[in-house]
Amino acid sequence: MRPRRTDFVAAFLRSFAIQGSWNYRTLIGGGLAFALSPLLARIHAGDPVALGESIERHAAPFNAHPYLSPIAIGALARLEQEDEDPETLSRFRAALRAPLGALGDQAVWAGWRPVCAFGAILAHGLGVGPLTAALGFLVIYNVGHVALRAWGLRLGWRTGLSVGAALARTPLKQASTYLVPVGQALIGAVAALLIARAPGLRPEPWMAGLATGAALGGYLLPRPMAIVSLAGLFLACLIWVL
Amino acid sequence: MIGVEITVGQWLLVVLAGALLGLDAVSWPQAMASRPLVAGTLGGLLFGAPAAGFLAGAWLELVTSRHPPFGAARYPETGPAALIAGAAYALSASSTISGLVAATLAGWTIGWIGMHSIAALRSYNARLVADPRAFAGQPAEVARRHRRAIRMDAARAALLTGVLFVPAALGVRLLGSLDPGPLGTAWSPALAIAGLAGVAGIGARTLGSRRRRWVPFAVGAGAGLLVAWLVP
Repeated sequence: MRPRRTDFVAAFLRSFAIQGSWNYRTLIGGGLAFALSPLLARIHAGDPVALGESIERHAAPFNAHPYLSPIAIGALARLEQEDEDPETLSRFRAALRAPLGALGDQAVWAGWRPVCAFGAILAHGLGVGPLTAALGFLVIYNVGHVALRAWGLRLGWRTGLSVGAALARTPLKQASTYLVPVGQALIGAVAALLIARAPGLRPEPWMAGLATGAALGGYLLPRPMAIVSLAGLFLACLIWVL
Repeated sequence: MIGVEITVGQWLLVVLAGALLGLDAVSWPQAMASRPLVAGTLGGLLFGAPAAGFLAGAWLELVTSRHPPFGAARYPETGPAALIAGAAYALSASSTISGLVAATLAGWTIGWIGMHSIAALRSYNARLVADPRAFAGQPAEVARRHRRAIRMDAARAALLTGVLFVPAALGVRLLGSLDPGPLGTAWSPALAIAGLAGVAGIGARTLGSRRRRWVPFAVGAGAGLLVAWLVP
């Protein structure tokens, strides 16, 4: 039976909790089965054996970026609807994991989120109140977040097996190539602003030189500088007490 | 005598907020209310100083920017950590750099403790949902086990917040109220500046993962200095 609109709405809402049972053995496999359940229950209505098998199939190990997981939910439901054989379903599931993870990591975690978060902090530096900046971040970020999930579910259901080709045509990858440098620029701006306005600090020229050196050091030598930077923060507190 | 005044009602509110923010990052709904700038502001707001909470959250946002949740990577949990950092900095009423750095480090440390508690929960979740036969082919059983895992995550975050909030608030208050010695006056600001600038550089590098992109970071830093100079 073809899923109804209410089943898609239920699956969409459940996708927000897809990482709720994240574990080291099946990753978000349990969450995928949870989010797919309303669609599977409709597709296999009246056939409890087929429903049981499909639930077990989709609770197997799986991972994807959570915001792009609705693409997998939609596409897998489409394949179940078309009665694809379990072998094809299993291979398709496995093939979806890497692209959905990599694409989401770059577009969302390395792109959209830092742009929104550091943009909000910069807005506060320009005079926007703290509550407005924090709420503004939540609203703007989640417009993109919710839209991405809704678009993903539609794309997955519409394209089914050819979702990979459809994904390659989307502007998501291109968006990340623009968003990442903007995020990097905003990190630089926020760091400079927070340092210049640190409480109880009288800015002096040598401080700008020190900050520039440390920032460039962090950029060019991230591993050793991670330890040096954190040690610097801890020592700042320790020396204060002495 | 160093102390902070926290009523039972305020403590309960912080614990409740910690539970919700702990849920947000991974389990539900991933709206990023758990990001330091939001959670820190909320922590400050609960004690009447949202601007102080926002500032602690902004510092923590920079410090944690080098840990994006790529793949199955381990990274500090930000929700309860930033809530506590923001609340502790607001309660300290500190106007020294040591208070702010102490709040940031408290948040960073709690974030890693939170990550270890999440790792323990994930091992528990494996027993709950990793065997597909346990569902017996029933959507209702899938939902029951999945929701149980989510409730456990909320309980974990509440416990973390409830246990660590008061010690963190006391520690930040203590450091924020101390007058520095000659060594602290001379060196603490320099170390704090270098530390924050260093983690910002690492954060920018982590996002881009290519050295040639240092130009946007440098341009941004210049623009930030200009804003600091032009906007009072």
